[in-house]
Amino acid sequence: MKTTLAIIPLLVVSSLPAFADSCCAAKNVPACCAKAEPAGTTLSDKSLYQTGSTWTTDANKKIKLADLKGRPQVVVMFFASCQYACPILVHDLTRIESALKPELRGKLGFTLVTFDTKRDTPEVLAKFREIRNLPAANWTFLHGADDDVLELAALLGVKYKEEANGQFAHSNVITVLNADGEIVHQLVGLGQDINASVRELEKLLINTNATLE
Amino acid sequence: MKAIRLTLSSIALPIMLWGGFAFASSNAPAGMALIDGGVFKPLFRSTADFKEVAVKPFYLDVLPVTNEQYLQFVRANPRWQRSAVKRLFADESYLKHWAGDLELGTNASPDAPVTFVPWFAAKSYAQWSGKRLPTTAEWEFAAAAGYTSADGETDVEFKRALLAWYASPAQQLANVGAGRTNYWGVHDLHGLVWEWVADFNTAMVTGDARGDTGLDRQLFCGSGSISARDVSNYTAFMRYGFRSSLKADYCVHNLGFRCAKDL
Repeated sequence: MKTTLAIIPLLVVSSLPAFADSCCAAKNVPACCAKAEPAGTTLSDKSLYQTGSTWTTDANKKIKLADLKGRPQVVVMFFASCQYACPILVHDLTRIESALKPELRGKLGFTLVTFDTKRDTPEVLAKFREIRNLPAANWTFLHGADDDVLELAALLGVKYKEEANGQFAHSNVITVLNADGEIVHQLVGLGQDINASVRELEKLLINTNATLE
Repeated sequence: MKAIRLTLSSIALPIMLWGGFAFASSNAPAGMALIDGGVFKPLFRSTADFKEVAVKPFYLDVLPVTNEQYLQFVRANPRWQRSAVKRLFADESYLKHWAGDLELGTNASPDAPVTFVPWFAAKSYAQWSGKRLPTTAEWEFAAAAGYTSADGETDVEFKRALLAWYASPAQQLANVGAGRTNYWGVHDLHGLVWEWVADFNTAMVTGDARGDTGLDRQLFCGSGSISARDVSNYTAFMRYGFRSSLKADYCVHNLGFRCAKDL
């Protein structure tokens, strides 16, 4: 499979150089093209990855949301010093992960975005991830500018508010994005039945299997 | 009644003179008014919320953004044309009262406030014009002013006019600027359309970090509402309720926006 994938883009580029840029607009081009295409050019109307905001990961790497493209993502907004809701929310995510068949687990990402732009620096987020033994390979924590956090919350339908004691009141929403960054499922509340979310992810992971290697 | 008005204006006059002085020495950008800073006291708060929010001085558009102004924005930013807009950012009602992508038509007067616009577009318009959307605290602070004083709560005439608007059903939208200016020289904060604010999604939280305990249970009707700071401020109740019901892609017939700017 790998060899085929590598050859087709080569052929497209070498035999039809003039069309290389617009390869994906053509209907009979193999699905491989999406991968060769720079992020942002083939996004659907409902893809969250259309937003241009830049984020810093817990590994101190600058990314755009579109960099998450290619595999399904489970997204929550949280803050690290949260005593009550967020630990449960993170626990819900690990429940979802362990409910998936082992061979599927590595094929999705968990992305946690902090409300607390002041205190949750990439270092704080990295520590949070380490303490909870969440592998960096598929767990990403994001820190962003206030305005971008507000916008992402708006996109996810998450409401939040900073309180006088530095805590945040916020809605608890687990969002499942497909490989293209479209919202396909949301689970609202804490400690909910995760079955529907797991089924939704399995469907996605089976469908997107081919693009993962 | 007359006596009360007299008393009010005798208090308001020195403030106005002082306020007028402040305006004269400021260089507000064209079409904007300087809003002196102050303290915004949220109408609703839980025990955990800030009791007061300091509002720094800022500039606010004197008028809401009009159809004509929004048309210029759409011309310059084709991705915001009705037929080109991404569904993620605007629901199906986006600019539905316009005749076409670049045509206002008979249902959208050029000088009426633009409506059927989502938060994303309002934000983008503000950025395009070198401004930003006001925060809830800023908007409420500016809108709390009466006709003659920064604190409309003491302005009986203003409060009566407010209630009259909130009580009357929506009609055909009037043009901007028809309403009386408030103390800051700003038109139409009340009486014309609702307006997007930058942090509309902080208005109220449900299913939150603390499972709603200690939250704004008093938002809703009934005797619970007496824990609000000012029970006579029904119009603020309505704005909070309205904001909390919004989603960022919603395009609503009576929801527009205006911009703000840092000093």
